[in-house]
Amino acid sequence: MKELFALELPLGNGQMTTVRLATGGVAASFGLGLDDSEDLKLCVTESLLLLLHAGSGRARVEFSEDGAQLFVAVLGAGETTFGGGMPEDDISEALLSALAEDALVERKDAGIVRVSFRFSK
Amino acid sequence: MNEEELFQQYHETHDVALRNQIVENYLYIAQVIAKKFSGRGVEYDDLVQVASLALMRGVDRFDPARGVRFSTFITPTITGEIKNYFRDHARVIHLPRAVSELRADIRDTDDRLTVELGRKPTAQEIASALGVSEEEVVSGAEAGTVVSLDRPTADGDTTFHELIAAPDDGGIEQMENRDLLNSALEKLREAERTLIRHRFVEGLSQAETAGRMHVSQMCVSRLERKTLAKLRNLLQKEAAE
Repeated sequence: MKELFALELPLGNGQMTTVRLATGGVAASFGLGLDDSEDLKLCVTESLLLLLHAGSGRARVEFSEDGAQLFVAVLGAGETTFGGGMPEDDISEALLSALAEDALVERKDAGIVRVSFRFSK
Repeated sequence: MNEEELFQQYHETHDVALRNQIVENYLYIAQVIAKKFSGRGVEYDDLVQVASLALMRGVDRFDPARGVRFSTFITPTITGEIKNYFRDHARVIHLPRAVSELRADIRDTDDRLTVELGRKPTAQEIASALGVSEEEVVSGAEAGTVVSLDRPTADGDTTFHELIAAPDDGGIEQMENRDLLNSALEKLREAERTLIRHRFVEGLSQAETAGRMHVSQMCVSRLERKTLAKLRNLLQKEAAE
């Protein structure tokens, strides 16, 4: 498994543009098409929103690949004040399942701590 | 009445008023998902319409007895409909239009705001003025380095297009799309073809196009809107035949 890229950031709406642009670059270097690239960006930002709503102050986005698949893990980091989530979190989780393969939302003490999924070429 | 009771009652009665109430209750899901897919070349209002239709159909198919929440059930349904819509309606016209038009608009807005503000505007300020996302501005500006494939190379004898081998996969589809586009362009009036060439092949701004065509920018704007709608209709007809 080759790690392509990792990004650590404070969570806030102001960071989403940077994350989307970086994710677009990763998608291009991995060889995803434009539609999949847009879907990947959407999945990464939805994952970050889930962590933000759960109270994470920071997040780390890790991209790795095995040649045919791009694996993404989005982890909550830093100070965490587990919130109760938001009503639209259901939509975010369902979107992840609809757009990515093997979408998994991991919880600890009722808060979301890690989101992972993969995209295939 | 909670979600389960509402759907249970609707499935027993098929009362249209009840269905309308359910659709209204969950219309926000259609709007939220449409917003997440905006910025990919289809108007937000069109996406909301597609998502709302999927929502209405989903209300009839949802079975609360399966123990899944409606939002969990309907989100993939709406997402699938939106992706189908992109596949069927947006691909041919969106990509060439977005890059060249946005690049020209960014350049114009950058010039205008530089004068207004007395300094170079930020990407966020340009995005706000154009009503697009900051990401689109940054990637649109990046696309400014793109050159036309028809431009001659340094030796002057060949074009970039001739130097690039066609990819194995997708090549046929690209050729079909190009044929469709050429066929549709032939059906446009001369002025409409001229406008398309200036705006989307040469990447000129609306103001520059107006200068070349000796008409007002307002006229270019109106003609562009009408021409693109006409081209879209022609392409849909061609693709259907």
